[in-house]
Amino acid sequence: MTPPLNSSPSRRVRREPGEGLLAFFLLLPAAALLLGVLLFPMLTTFRDSLYLNKLTEPWLTGFVGLKQYAQMLGDARFGAALRNTLFFGVLTVGGSFLVGVPMALAAHLPSRARDVARVALLLPWAMPPVITGLIFAWLFNAQYGVFNDLLVRAGFIQEPLRWLSTPGLSVLAMVLTIVWKTSSFVALIVLGGLQGIPKEMIEAAQVDGATPTQTFFRVILPLLAPSLAVAFIFRTISAVQVFDIPYTFIQQAPAQGLLETLGVYIYRTGIEFLDFGYAAALSVALFALSLAVTAVYVRFVRDGGNS
Amino acid sequence: MSGDTTPQRLTPAQRLGRSAALTALIVGGFFPFIWMVLTSLKSEGELQKFPVQYLPSKLDFSNYARVFSEQPFAQFFLNSLTVSLLSTVLCIAAAVPAAYALARLNLRGRGLLMTTVVTFSMLPVVSLLVPMFRLMRGANLLNTYPALILPYAALSLPIGILTLVAFFSAIPRDLEAAAMVDGTTRVGALTRVVLPLSTPGVVTAALLVFVNSWNEFLLALSFNTKLSMRTVSVGVTLYQGEFAFPWPLIAAAVVVATVPLVLLIAIFQRRFVAGLTAGGVKA
Repeated sequence: MTPPLNSSPSRRVRREPGEGLLAFFLLLPAAALLLGVLLFPMLTTFRDSLYLNKLTEPWLTGFVGLKQYAQMLGDARFGAALRNTLFFGVLTVGGSFLVGVPMALAAHLPSRARDVARVALLLPWAMPPVITGLIFAWLFNAQYGVFNDLLVRAGFIQEPLRWLSTPGLSVLAMVLTIVWKTSSFVALIVLGGLQGIPKEMIEAAQVDGATPTQTFFRVILPLLAPSLAVAFIFRTISAVQVFDIPYTFIQQAPAQGLLETLGVYIYRTGIEFLDFGYAAALSVALFALSLAVTAVYVRFVRDGGNS
Repeated sequence: MSGDTTPQRLTPAQRLGRSAALTALIVGGFFPFIWMVLTSLKSEGELQKFPVQYLPSKLDFSNYARVFSEQPFAQFFLNSLTVSLLSTVLCIAAAVPAAYALARLNLRGRGLLMTTVVTFSMLPVVSLLVPMFRLMRGANLLNTYPALILPYAALSLPIGILTLVAFFSAIPRDLEAAAMVDGTTRVGALTRVVLPLSTPGVVTAALLVFVNSWNEFLLALSFNTKLSMRTVSVGVTLYQGEFAFPWPLIAAAVVVATVPLVLLIAIFQRRFVAGLTAGGVKA
């Protein structure tokens, strides 16, 4: 489980003279990397959000204060991207739990196929998101895609569906892709929780005459609560920041507006429209969203939610 | 860890349920990858059929040859390997001492430091893209390996630290204390007692960092735009034209790009599961 944030190490090892100096040197390389490569650009983003800086209109420069934040509030495209992000977030986080928790239970079953099951569990997690997007674009292909083929063979549909070129279906296809990719993360965290449950507790419940359903809901699920909470927070963060899979789907689907998330909009504003100032303001909005979720996580861990 | 693989008496219904659950899991996890392998072995003609022809009528490996002839894929592969390995080494080299300090020294403000590490692990990469790009351009690093090695090492550093803190904390303190009573220094205790015992933890952290680096797309797409500096994750997207998607070729590229990951997972599955359940890892 995640290490507790505030439990100080026990005092059995006496503080040596010079330990503060040692700590400084031990932390220095990590601090240099984090501050130089991550914090510095982050601070730059805050500054850039206060200045006009658009390569396509180089004559417009200078300090504008919070004007670009005001622009954001009136920007319909930002509103749509934010709504899309939250909508996909609800669907994909929910979906990854609906699929991931049963996956963890299956992978935890004693079986000779257990090692293969573990690899099957890890594979979607380890698959590069861009490649996942490409693979599923092919699986959802309108003419020769295997999903259409299976649906037709099973008799659910008569004609192949145009998954990527029908707006509603392209959203569904993308959501399913993200759910496939992220369920295994939920499953892995929950599997860790399952492994931490003493076998005796489950056996005791069974001896007391609990049915498997009762055992699951009354014994296993409450003990899994911390793992579920951690998985939920990490999934929420990644849903807020989602970029790669929507980006790949947008290359293939005409209904781009429907698929544009906040991350994709920031990328386009900065890299395609070359509006660095406004991209910075949008980035700060994404920071704020991420930090809000992080704050919930930090509070959760601090309150001993994972002990 | 659970060692409950002891055979249990199951009713036939339970046995069937277990098989069904495991089959669903295994098929669901492997199917997209296996479908890409099958697609990569078909010709364009075999592909353009509906209902779909599932198995190729003969094994056609020409798409794999084309992956390497139509784009410098061997170079992409070498670039990804170099960048991923070096960023892993850099990240772990910085994470080990930091995690040791956080796990073992009586630091004032330790809680605050841990919170800071967690916060860094949650930073959205896309928000850092433009300023990082300008930083790299200013340092004349665009289209070089360090342009990716530095951000990859930094972005994975929080995960590396959190994973290692969890592993270091699990090592009995008495072992170190004993060594230190015998006159070993703090650094000696780290290198001679803690590190050898936490090799599994270091391997686990390194694997997580390596996979992160291998899979990264956004920075690689934006910083290293020269064809000879492209990495695999960007390289696989280069086979498609504006309107043309040569799927057998794309599938072959996908398979080549993913095989290293599949092998790593198959070999180190226990380490991966241990790592993902030990530290806070982003989805």
